Amino acid sequence: MAIAPKKNIPELLFYSLTAVASFTVIIFIIGIIAVLLKESSLAIGKFGVVGFLTSTAWNPVTGMFGAATTIYGTFLTTGLALLFAIPTAIGIAIFVTEIAPNYLKAPIGIAIELLAAIPSIIYGMWGLFTLAPIMSKYIEPALQNSIGKLPLVGILFEGTPMGIDLLTASVILAIMIIPFTASIARDSFNLTPSVVKESAYAIGATKWEVVKNVVLPYSKLGVFGGVALSLGRALGETMAVAFVLGNSHKIATSLFDAASTITVSLANEFTEADSDIYLSSLYYLALVLFVMSFIILAIAKFFLLKAEKKYSR
Amino acid sequence: MNIEQKRKIESLVALTLSGLAAAIGLFWLVYILGDVLIHGLGALHISLFFNDPAAAGVEGGGLRNAFVGQLMITLVATLIGVPVGVLGGTFLAEYARGKAIARTISIISDIMVSVPSIVIGAFVYAILVRPLHHFSGWAGAFALSIIMIPVVLRTTENMLSLVPWTLREAAFALGAPYYKVIIQIVYRGAATGILTGILLSIARVAGETAPLLFTSFNNNFFSTDMNRPIASLTVTIFQYAMGPYKSWHSQAWGAALVITLFILLLTIAGRLILKWRYKQ
Amino acid sequence: MTPTTEIEVKNLDFYYSGDIHALQKISLPIYKYKVTALIGPSGCGKTTLLRCFNRMHDLYPKHRYEGEILFQDKNILANDIDLINLRSRVGMVFQKPTPFPMSIAENIAYGLRLKGIKNKSELVGRIEEALKHAALWTEVRDKLNASAYDLSGGQQQRLVIARALAVEPEVLLFDEPTSALDPISTAKIEELVVSLKKDVTIIIVTHNMQQAARVSDMTGFLYMGDLIEYGSTEKIFTNPDNKQTDDYITGRFG
Repeated sequence: MAIAPKKNIPELLFYSLTAVASFTVIIFIIGIIAVLLKESSLAIGKFGVVGFLTSTAWNPVTGMFGAATTIYGTFLTTGLALLFAIPTAIGIAIFVTEIAPNYLKAPIGIAIELLAAIPSIIYGMWGLFTLAPIMSKYIEPALQNSIGKLPLVGILFEGTPMGIDLLTASVILAIMIIPFTASIARDSFNLTPSVVKESAYAIGATKWEVVKNVVLPYSKLGVFGGVALSLGRALGETMAVAFVLGNSHKIATSLFDAASTITVSLANEFTEADSDIYLSSLYYLALVLFVMSFIILAIAKFFLLKAEKKYSR
Repeated sequence: MNIEQKRKIESLVALTLSGLAAAIGLFWLVYILGDVLIHGLGALHISLFFNDPAAAGVEGGGLRNAFVGQLMITLVATLIGVPVGVLGGTFLAEYARGKAIARTISIISDIMVSVPSIVIGAFVYAILVRPLHHFSGWAGAFALSIIMIPVVLRTTENMLSLVPWTLREAAFALGAPYYKVIIQIVYRGAATGILTGILLSIARVAGETAPLLFTSFNNNFFSTDMNRPIASLTVTIFQYAMGPYKSWHSQAWGAALVITLFILLLTIAGRLILKWRYKQ
Repeated sequence: MTPTTEIEVKNLDFYYSGDIHALQKISLPIYKYKVTALIGPSGCGKTTLLRCFNRMHDLYPKHRYEGEILFQDKNILANDIDLINLRSRVGMVFQKPTPFPMSIAENIAYGLRLKGIKNKSELVGRIEEALKHAALWTEVRDKLNASAYDLSGGQQQRLVIARALAVEPEVLLFDEPTSALDPISTAKIEELVVSLKKDVTIIIVTHNMQQAARVSDMTGFLYMGDLIEYGSTEKIFTNPDNKQTDDYITGRFG
């Protein structure tokens, strides 16, 4: 249902104005890609692609830079955060849609949406002042004395628990994305037609069986999309982790080690980069992050569009 | 134990676990909000709003510079982001409705909404900060508006699509040209929805820190000059919380409380308007 | 006395979405100050034909007209026709009420302002006149500034008719104007249609045959894009020439 603009001047003017405004989005995305490529060209030329991605060097003095430590830190914090967040978020969504009495559904739903609106810097600051001390005093020693004693996995819990480490950062990241993931999962669950659920109950299914066999399969595309969106969010998050990660360019072997992510390196070092190759390497990191999140968002969009098509039938 | 009992127990266990997950999740969130409230209230003095920062490590002082800076940056970002976003959304929902270009721009906007905000900061640094050799309030506002535009654009597109097509035909049938139909009829029909979108987008950018770190940077002195580095609440929170002084920490909590309340109020207002408008 | 011909449709063919042939070689006269009803089963082309008279199809891509529609001897299918002017002379009322999101008075003023009427007192006068014309004045005179959405469905439909009348069109098109209304509101609209024909020429699409019989002077029966029969309503409903017409009006159709 499109309309060809007619040839009168105000019409043409308004048409062009709206067209130009909508094209700014394309200009921005192309501009971002072009700027990231141009600014990182020096580092790309010096370190190459594979060389940069696999090198653990990060030495401003010698001018040698690699992305391996920060990519490692990014994946580790994001992965751990999702590990904590997804079951919790899906639990919340199941609770809100299927279990909670009606008078609790709306308030919890609203609480989740409001919590998703709180800026990440609040989570980060809270992590630094409140969670990190709790982690170093209680939780991390407890982990060390229990799971830490086991063979093989014990190595993950070595070192002095300082609270400023991978584990704390992942927990904060998880807490931050829980409301976001939960609200997408809840919306997907709500799309399950009640007739389908009722017919499962009618043949004697338990509540959990309805959730497991009807609601989850029915909404899985939407939930996958939501999880991918959360992954993208966690990957690009700066402030929630910047306070408690320690910005250390080492491959951490223990969850109690300080580490860095791409975003944290950018936040801490961007304005301090004193040589061209240093700044260019930071832009190269930004480019890597952009490409990663672009791919993940495209995947999320793919699932969500598929889900949308399915439900609209 | 027969099968039926087993199934019932399995159901009970699974549901208890999900209830527990919900409790744990909500526990942390309540904990955070409570903490911000308790520590923040302790730091809320009149001086926080009306005094400029004291010298580093000296007790007292306030964050007047950051409150004013934050307002200016957010305001300018809104003044850029809202018109561009609304007009862009209009193109997608009206002139390009159903065309491939509208679909493409929609998808790109959705991706733009989720681009890591620190990347946008780096982008603006390269085009507005380095060429001019100084950080500036304008650069910070521009970075925020880049985040804002796709958000406003998508909400506008969605809200305009909700206006029944017959309403447009009715206006055409009276002999109205399309731009008048859009401005006088369609915008009116979608006004509350678009307003909500704008409120939520302001809430979204007001809490952003990462894109400001290397655009508007920070300024420990009071300044309203958008051509120079300018303080913002969020960057100040980052600097103060990571700093060594107790008084800084306290002020950071105070600033955190104010910005959290501001954002929650905007979000609640947005939801209430939507609920009130679409209750039928 | 033979009535004046307001509109003459000559060999009209219409295609949409590129090549879907929706109307075939339609020819008929529309008489001035008469009510002409277009009837036929769903998808027969009656609404498509109605929307040719104000070139509503031009809003959408890939449409094509062939043939002529002469409105006061001028072909309105010509490329150089000013659609905005055409539509202010040929008004339209839709199936569902389409009040604009503004007050009752503003709804009517909207069309007047499009015509360039800005004078406040003239606007007030014309609003009252239009509302009286549409038999709505007594019901809304005390709440002219209330939102149009506060009116009932039937009142909204009469408001929309008042809005169309305010710009003083010469022809008024009705596209199943009562299909979304209750019987009492329907009766009011039908009365209104009959009373309006002293001032405007009316073309009405309906799939309610009793309605066509009650309100119209002339009736055209369309089937699958063809105009099967056209004549006085009395003849069409009592003694049609064509067997298909007879089957349709007696309900033996299908």
